[in-house]
Amino acid sequence: MAATDEELVARSMDGDVDSFNQLVLRWERPIYALAYRVIGRDEDARDVAQETFLRAFRALPGFKGQAKFSSWLYRIALNLCRDWIRRKKRTPLVEMPEGVDVAELAAEQGPVESIEDLVSRQEMSRIVAEGMKLLPDEQRTAIVLKEYHGLTFQEIADLQGCPLSTVKTRLYQGLSVLRRHLESRGMTKFESEKQ
Amino acid sequence: MSMKFTCDDKPTLVAYLYGEVDAAVRQAIDDHLAKCAACADELTSLGDVRSKIGLWAPPDVELDFQIVRKSQLPASNVLRPVRWWNAVPVWAQAAAAILVVAAGLSIANLQIKSGPDGFVVTTGWIQGPALSAPADRVAVDREVEGWKTALVSLEQQLRNEIRASHEAGATRAAAPGVVDEATIRRVQQLIADAEQRHERQLAARFVDFARDMTMQRRADMQNIGRVVGQYDEQLLRQRQILNDQGRVLNNVIRVSSSPQQ
Repeated sequence: MAATDEELVARSMDGDVDSFNQLVLRWERPIYALAYRVIGRDEDARDVAQETFLRAFRALPGFKGQAKFSSWLYRIALNLCRDWIRRKKRTPLVEMPEGVDVAELAAEQGPVESIEDLVSRQEMSRIVAEGMKLLPDEQRTAIVLKEYHGLTFQEIADLQGCPLSTVKTRLYQGLSVLRRHLESRGMTKFESEKQ
Repeated sequence: MSMKFTCDDKPTLVAYLYGEVDAAVRQAIDDHLAKCAACADELTSLGDVRSKIGLWAPPDVELDFQIVRKSQLPASNVLRPVRWWNAVPVWAQAAAAILVVAAGLSIANLQIKSGPDGFVVTTGWIQGPALSAPADRVAVDREVEGWKTALVSLEQQLRNEIRASHEAGATRAAAPGVVDEATIRRVQQLIADAEQRHERQLAARFVDFARDMTMQRRADMQNIGRVVGQYDEQLLRQRQILNDQGRVLNNVIRVSSSPQQ
């Protein structure tokens, strides 16, 4: 049976680097995905993810366990993303990395789809990425944490340092912007049904 | 008291969308949606947006991050095998080094000369002209033979010392061992002799160097004087030619300016 995060954290705090590396292995992909979706650049997202674990390792003696280890990691990663955005002073660019074919990815993960469906899925992914790019940082981060990482409103509020109601408002506003963007590109079922 | 939901309460609608409402709020929203088509449509469209968001996947990259801690042990704590030269006493290493340098210099037969072509530094096994006298050659040969004997003797002593250190155990730390007093005196004597010999050789070479420099300077001065004399002669000759030409020119002018008969 795999050790829990708390057990691995405790062993890491006793100097067991291998335990910390198990945590890294467990959380590197979610942290990378978070960074990628918030800042939108593959290379920078890798750097942010790597720096997140380095900082976590250095700060581990100060981790008192008042929050979940994953929330603590998310906080570090989000701070780094915020620093990155502030440093670059530009809107996050959502790019489709070379060599990554969403259609192929979908084909590997799901049931067999027609070529038309795969192309359509790839196109929809690109349009969603475009829409996410339109959002302010706070709204995009709230949606990413909620949709892709399944955090509760309270956890997002803690990470973003804002009231619970603000998180809900950010989500509503972000989803509304995305809805309009998708409608403008003829992508929503709601719109297609109306036509 | 039952809860009332209104159309402008968007945060609560979002909480309902994500299933983060308690039973009472859920019931109130369900009741409202049954009567309000606008809110029901909005909820459907937001749900549709959520399903589309799920299509956005990050690239499937290799990460493999790993924390690697550098060893914080000081290098002195790292165990390593003892080398044979660590077991040889320091004084023996120093003596051997001096002897090697002295022997190298003797064999190299270093010569520094200055001549018309400038400074010349030569090395080799050729005997220098400074030792051309047969008496000097014999004396040097004798001295070299004595050195060879002393070197062989010292080498043998060093080998014995190294062998003894090996036998004492390869793992012990390098430290000055018990040294034969006679050996120390012998090595000190050899070092002193080597230093004295080198001082003599250096002094002789400096004398030769100074003498060569003086001779070269004299030769250079003579050359300069000869060249300057040649220039003086040429200058005098040219001046005479100019004077002759001037006289001829004056005669021509005088003849041309005289009245025609």
